[in-house]
Amino acid sequence: MLKYLKEEGPLGPRLPLIFCPGCGSGQVLNYTLYAVDRIIEEDNVRKENFLFISGIGCSGRITSHYMNFDSAWTIHGRALAIATGALLANPAFKIIVFTGDGDNASIGGNHFIHACRRNIDVTILCLNNGLYGMTGGQHAPTTPLGMITTTTPYENREAAFDLCKLAEIAGATYVARWTTAHPRQVIKSIMKGVRKRGTAFIEILSQCPVHEKASPVAILKRFKRDTIPIRRAEGPAEGKTLIGEFCDLDRKEWNESYQEIIDQFLAGSG
Amino acid sequence: MSAQGIVDREGRMSKTPRFEIRIAGFGGQGVVTIGRILGEAFTIYEGKNSVNTHSYGPESRGGACKSEVVVSEGEIHYPNVRKADLLIALSQVGLDTYISDLKEGGIVLVDPRSVKNVPDRDKYRVHEVPTMDIAHEIGGVKFQNSVALGALYPLIAHMIKESSLRQGISNNVPSETVEINMEAFKRGMRYAKEGKAE
Amino acid sequence: MPKKARRNEAANISPGPHFLKPGKYYLQGSEACIEGALMAGCRVYAGYPITPAVETMEYASRRFPQVGGRFIQMEDEIASACALIGSSWGGAKALTATSGPGFSLMQEAISIAVMSETPMVIVDIQRAGPGQGYITASQQDVMQARWGHHGDGPIIALAPASVQEMFDLTIEAFTLSEQWRTPVLVMTEETVAHMREPLVIPPWNEVEVRERKKPQDLGIPPGDYLPWGHNTVAPMANWGEGYNVNFVALVHLEDGNITRYSPQANYHCVERLQKKIEGNADGITRIEAKFLENCKHLIICYGAVSRTAMEAAIEACEEGLEVGYLRLITLWPFPEEKLRRIVGTVDTIFVPEMNLGMMRHPITEALRDQCRKVVSIPSLGILHSPEYILSKVREETS
Repeated sequence: MLKYLKEEGPLGPRLPLIFCPGCGSGQVLNYTLYAVDRIIEEDNVRKENFLFISGIGCSGRITSHYMNFDSAWTIHGRALAIATGALLANPAFKIIVFTGDGDNASIGGNHFIHACRRNIDVTILCLNNGLYGMTGGQHAPTTPLGMITTTTPYENREAAFDLCKLAEIAGATYVARWTTAHPRQVIKSIMKGVRKRGTAFIEILSQCPVHEKASPVAILKRFKRDTIPIRRAEGPAEGKTLIGEFCDLDRKEWNESYQEIIDQFLAGSG
Repeated sequence: MSAQGIVDREGRMSKTPRFEIRIAGFGGQGVVTIGRILGEAFTIYEGKNSVNTHSYGPESRGGACKSEVVVSEGEIHYPNVRKADLLIALSQVGLDTYISDLKEGGIVLVDPRSVKNVPDRDKYRVHEVPTMDIAHEIGGVKFQNSVALGALYPLIAHMIKESSLRQGISNNVPSETVEINMEAFKRGMRYAKEGKAE
Repeated sequence: MPKKARRNEAANISPGPHFLKPGKYYLQGSEACIEGALMAGCRVYAGYPITPAVETMEYASRRFPQVGGRFIQMEDEIASACALIGSSWGGAKALTATSGPGFSLMQEAISIAVMSETPMVIVDIQRAGPGQGYITASQQDVMQARWGHHGDGPIIALAPASVQEMFDLTIEAFTLSEQWRTPVLVMTEETVAHMREPLVIPPWNEVEVRERKKPQDLGIPPGDYLPWGHNTVAPMANWGEGYNVNFVALVHLEDGNITRYSPQANYHCVERLQKKIEGNADGITRIEAKFLENCKHLIICYGAVSRTAMEAAIEACEEGLEVGYLRLITLWPFPEEKLRRIVGTVDTIFVPEMNLGMMRHPITEALRDQCRKVVSIPSLGILHSPEYILSKVREETS
């Protein structure tokens, strides 16, 4: 995978990564590169076609710092709007967006639901750690009820989004949730997402040992213990978080559909 | 026509005569469409220059709504009407609001059904044409524009060809209504010339 | 405006049957703007409806696919401006049109476009403000155009005064944005956007159109490419061309590095942007001047108000008041040096604006030593009439 990393990125030499010890971002970077490598080999896709776009937050630092691909480190919450623009210029881009739960569902919420609704051809990797890591541990739209964070010192009183349900209802055509403790599943889902022509939303529960004040191993164990695959859950999920593939549909992608409009007019020209 | 051409210090004509048209009525009466048709007719089909503007705001809904066309052979600087040569008033409110901006001796075209009173009418050349009635005879109030344009034509025939106005109308109405709008135009014109539509 | 061809063959765009044939048309300013964009090779429009920019957007939705372009209505203005950035880096020329409130929302995106040197064009069809203000014309965003985006960093803003200029200056906006790798603003008013006037469309192959310089054009291979280096205006590799180019809007070095931060690096990064535009103001800016010889007073104007000001200047001369006329076609960078050179010594400078006095400030700064007084003539909610400007001129000069 080293061949996909810059020798020297904007943050200096590629190793060691800047992420905190035990952070899930490093794992996600690794899984993504595996998935991309398989696609380049198996599907004969050119490396030039890949485009990695990220927003602001710890997840935002996965791409441009390290990846030796075309990339963009953009403003908070707007990666999907910029991705939409890139596809308008060139529908052939294979875009993978790295975002966090705050970047995607708070400030980026509007762009998130509309990207899904339009079914634009992106694969969204949403690293969900239930809080705002980079800025010091504030609560996010995904923080569980009752949790104490730096901006909910008296317990969080707000309900949390179920990002996968949100994506599905908004119209994404491939929706899955895994955790950083499920490497093979994450890699498979990313490959499926990139191959799917449409909006793929993959939520990856990711550990933030610093703000959760727990060891990464403990959090990973918790990920395995407190999640239950969809196919095994019967009735209510017994207080556990559902993981797995929530939907995998076929729906015309935005550019595919718009091309039909253009073709009407260009049919007449020489 | 208004002011004479002025030769500026650089020895060029920088101000050419303007013919200023204002159309006033309620929103929905076709005030904007009439202005657009006149502008297009003068510009594309008569080869003159014109600027067409219209009022924009809540007065477009239910209050006085206006559109303006300034016509000239040369450059038009200030795009709005300063002192109108011609006022087409489709409502009493429209007339009352803009009659004082009309030149003495200027032309006023009104529909007597909606405009009952023209203050100081001796100062102007008032032409009354029952555009709404004629439109109803043909098929409805939406043809009022074309009737009004037909009635207007004889008054400006010295500066525009009939075909230019007709072409302007055809370009700005739904294609399936072109024929009926041409009929409306014809009836408006006939009324203005002969005092009756048919 | 139309100059000799150097054109679409290279960009692989042919006009096709849906381009407007050369000739005279009667169009609204909004429509002329879109036709200009298409003529300049713009093939992406991403926007959000706002009065009075709706006509521009609706016309774009019809015309863009007709020439092989793409139109999208985004979920808000922030998304629209961000989509322009994505499209530009993806290789396309991109456009949006908005008004005051939407323009405010776009400022963050404009700021990162300035920093990352992203070519794109934004049209602001100004309406009365502040707040939701009203939907009638104004010139109230002209300062925001320059200073609205956070941080330092210059920008280019043009002010069309007619339907023909909505066409010509939109083409010029794309030319400037590609040439200088910067966002360019077209600051117009509801007046010009909605008026109908004759528009002369030149033959497609007589219009000069500019494309951004690429490292490939200069023989720079990916390994040697500095995304913000090589020249005053860095050649721009787009995504998808094998250059592994990373878009970033933090303070950066020429190679895109953002970590070797130092105050010097910060200064050079931002000062470079400033010099690129402000340092070339003379070449970038355009003004129109009439009756300046021996004039005693001067009217400096821009946009729709210049239509009135011209009429007023002519009539003032008839009355024996020696009044010159000067129109800013480019608002930003402010043509300071140019004004100082062209304007002699005058008594009073009048600045009519559809705001409470904005461009009067850089005008005063530039010409303070060449005049006795600068008088602002504001008009809110309605275009100045010639009588109004003249009455103020007479008041001051009697």
